[in-house]
Amino acid sequence: MALTEERPLALEAGDTTPDYSPAGVFTRPTASTGWRSWITTVDHKKIGIMYGAAAIFFLAIGGFEALLIRAQLWAPRGSLLSADLYNQVYTMHGTTMVFLVVMPIGAAFANYLIPLQIGARDVAFPRINAFSFWCFLGGGIFLNSSWLLGGGADGGWFMYAPNSGVIFSPTHGIDFWNFGLIITGIASLTGAVNLIVTVLNMRAPGMTLMRMPIFTWMALVSMFLLLFAIPVLTSAQVLLMLDRLFDANFFNVAKGASPLLWEHLFWIFGHPEVYLMILPAFGLVSDILPVFSRKPIFGYPFIVFSGIAIGFMGWGVWAHHMFVSGIGPISVTAFSLATMFIAVPTGVKILNWLATMWGGKLRFTAPMLFSIGLITMFTIGGLSGVMHSVAPMDTQQTDTYFIVAHFHYVLFGGAFFGFVAGMYFYWPKAFGYMLNESLGKTNFWLMLLGFNLTFAPMHVLGLQGMSRRIYTYDAGYGFELWNKVATIGAFLLAASVALFVFNIFYSRSKARSLPPVGPDPWDARTIEWMVPSPTPAYNFDPIPTITRVDDFWYRKYGETADHKLVRFASDEEACQPLTDGKGVHLPSPSYWPIVVAFGLPIVAYGMIFSLWLALVGGIIVVGGIYGWAMEPPDDPDLAHDDHGPADHASDGGASALPAAAESEAKEVETVG
Amino acid sequence: MAETLTSRPTLESADAHAPHAHIEHDTNTGISNTKLGMWLFLASECLLFGGLITTYLLYKNPLEGPTPHEIYDIPFTSTSSFVLLMSSLTMVLAVSAIERAEHQRMRVWLTATALLGGTFIAGQIYEFTVFVREGLGFTTSRFSSAFYTLTGFHGVHVTVGIIMLVSLIVLSLRGKLPEHRSETVEIVGLYWHFVDVVWVVIFAIVYLIP
Amino acid sequence: MSITSHDDVPTEVLDGAVKDYSRDRVYVYTAIFLALITVVEVLTYAFPDFPAWSGDLVIVALMLMMAVKFFTIAYVFMHLKFDKPILTRIFYTGLVLACFVYLIMLFTFRIFWSGQHI
Repeated sequence: MALTEERPLALEAGDTTPDYSPAGVFTRPTASTGWRSWITTVDHKKIGIMYGAAAIFFLAIGGFEALLIRAQLWAPRGSLLSADLYNQVYTMHGTTMVFLVVMPIGAAFANYLIPLQIGARDVAFPRINAFSFWCFLGGGIFLNSSWLLGGGADGGWFMYAPNSGVIFSPTHGIDFWNFGLIITGIASLTGAVNLIVTVLNMRAPGMTLMRMPIFTWMALVSMFLLLFAIPVLTSAQVLLMLDRLFDANFFNVAKGASPLLWEHLFWIFGHPEVYLMILPAFGLVSDILPVFSRKPIFGYPFIVFSGIAIGFMGWGVWAHHMFVSGIGPISVTAFSLATMFIAVPTGVKILNWLATMWGGKLRFTAPMLFSIGLITMFTIGGLSGVMHSVAPMDTQQTDTYFIVAHFHYVLFGGAFFGFVAGMYFYWPKAFGYMLNESLGKTNFWLMLLGFNLTFAPMHVLGLQGMSRRIYTYDAGYGFELWNKVATIGAFLLAASVALFVFNIFYSRSKARSLPPVGPDPWDARTIEWMVPSPTPAYNFDPIPTITRVDDFWYRKYGETADHKLVRFASDEEACQPLTDGKGVHLPSPSYWPIVVAFGLPIVAYGMIFSLWLALVGGIIVVGGIYGWAMEPPDDPDLAHDDHGPADHASDGGASALPAAAESEAKEVETVG
Repeated sequence: MAETLTSRPTLESADAHAPHAHIEHDTNTGISNTKLGMWLFLASECLLFGGLITTYLLYKNPLEGPTPHEIYDIPFTSTSSFVLLMSSLTMVLAVSAIERAEHQRMRVWLTATALLGGTFIAGQIYEFTVFVREGLGFTTSRFSSAFYTLTGFHGVHVTVGIIMLVSLIVLSLRGKLPEHRSETVEIVGLYWHFVDVVWVVIFAIVYLIP
Repeated sequence: MSITSHDDVPTEVLDGAVKDYSRDRVYVYTAIFLALITVVEVLTYAFPDFPAWSGDLVIVALMLMMAVKFFTIAYVFMHLKFDKPILTRIFYTGLVLACFVYLIMLFTFRIFWSGQHI
């Protein structure tokens, strides 16, 4: 919003009459503590924490749905769930886990870490950042409110049409799914624009792109994937919505429509989607492994470029989800080949991670264990994925539990393990206390055991012919044993997640009697570990100048002639002390993001139940946007600091400072 | 340090200090955050309209009801297209005007743009009502659904653009749009030109291609 | 005192906009050019049998003219020609990606050659 995000100061120092009248009716909120500070916050760290907390809440819901599935499939002819209810449960399980757990945890880390890792104070558009979060939360709650308002969506998370049309699914569940995901899609899109601009525009002096931590790189690629994939899903959802609510003919086969239209549009979104789910976890692991191997990441440029390659190639493989849909042998062959190729950049990453650990001084802390867990479990999932890429093999495997095994290995064994690693790693930075190490190790082994017990048998079940998405099975097919094992595993897995949550509360209560954790408890390498723990509101004071990759490490360690590491600076010398943050201006909090975000689910309820309600919601949204745009600028007593300082280091192709910088400097007040 | 270290450690004195960093008040790319953000958004919109255009291409031959070339009024739509094209000109002249601090002239051009956009929308509405009268309802066929959705979506985008233009005019009249905020007008202009460019594509692919 | 007079904030700095009127002339000429192309596009409808665009050639001709108009608006009106290349690259990424995936999708539906379609 150009009107207020980038305006120069309303008043110069000492001046009390602006030369133009700043807009705004209400003054901006000022709360910095308490629940009001969370509702109106625009601080990327608070927003990141809220994304994480919301994701864990939805994890409990999606996990409960998973346990229902496993309980139903414990024995043949289970009677816990009817067929209809089972359809709803597995649809909502998948939708919740993909859109309300894995993606938001990625967003949580991206929001919290990116400004810290690039040396900025906040993201490019702080209020839009807040809006993204509240929008996501509203969409997630809206989606799950379907349970109370007529039943959940029941077409599978991929919602194939015309099965998802009103004839075959007459309840409102799918409408809730549709609108809920359109709303979270808005959140994702705005978040993607925000973070891309942040990374491109707001890096600290000397922080060239090839000096950024790997997590920021992977998050940047993910944001580009999100930016381009979400609109494709949105167009599919618009078509479905028009069919369901207004009798359109997009998926009406009698009028010549093709079900494949949905499949293509959905999977053009769906395949980049899975890459954007895994890449942030890859990034976290790429930053964690070097710390606990006491070695820099092996092949930094290769990790970066393979991530970019995955981002590009991910757009050319979507129809491998459609091998048996009748697209014909030429298409199948082309997509089969493309899918095989995409294993290459991922393989490069795995080799680089192994090479990082090789010869390093390994410390098997909880984050390290979970990271190694990602590497091993994802490799297994990747191997089954490569099997699927061979189209004739996929013809046997598709729609069986073999596929279910594959994607749970890569998404749970991969993404989720990586995220838990990241949580153990970054917890002290965010909250000022460590999660208990022995509980963490127990957490890892229990999760590893439960996870493998749950999903490894599914490979066998799939190859034996057990179909996906069925609410029960008959005795005598040989499915009984492994289903029982999987169900036991699922409950162990649930226990391990509960242990993680317990660890949070336990460590928090213990933290009061422990010495405060310093800025750098892990002896880490990247600059976010320079700041006090928990991170102060202003992030850095002063903004550091970066001279190389892993800049922070080289503020602590030098190397002798025979390559021995020598630590020459203590934490007090290398890290930043807690200051009062005077002279640092942060963007002011704001009410409007949550107001606008609140209006969107009301529009959605209105579209389903009563158009008058949609009108009310629309007025809230439009009014909120105007309020937002008209809001008074930040406190004019302090100078602006929502741009990143200029990049002085030569980075090949850096743009020259435009003269705007000088004239802006004349306008901008400096703080004494 | 007892031994000389070969890899030069980073010196803290090289760090920027807060008041100093203030003067270096710039973005790494040299482009403002908002402008960069708008271009990213426009790039993503290509995917959105692409999906709807592709749907149209797949469904343009209906199984029942009027076919495209029975129903289109090319002379009328050509005039509409011309109107929208000229609105791009008036838009860019408005941006040019505010960059020269000619606020009244900018308001004139913005008003012209909004009026031309409004004319386009009126033309669309008229066209739709004629089509409905001639038997092409939203639910008539796969072609009709695809056509109305694509052009309707575009029309909504134009309408949002008109609202933004009017907002700019009002802001300017109330003295809240000084020339150093000209980028705001430029960014609304980017959106407007994009909407025009999408129509260039729609006009060719939907209306003209036989 | 007003923030700055017009002289203190020279308009040259505003992303290269120049403080003179010759830019406007470029815009008007561009608009005329676009209008002329549109006229030719409409002529393909009015005179479908004209040799330059008879039969299937009309699709090529229309696509070409559409592309010329598209890029003219993008480069001139949207300032891509005068701005930093990263903006062009970002826009092209979205555009090329869209063309790529949707063309492949249309190919799998076999709409570009005769035979059984949906």
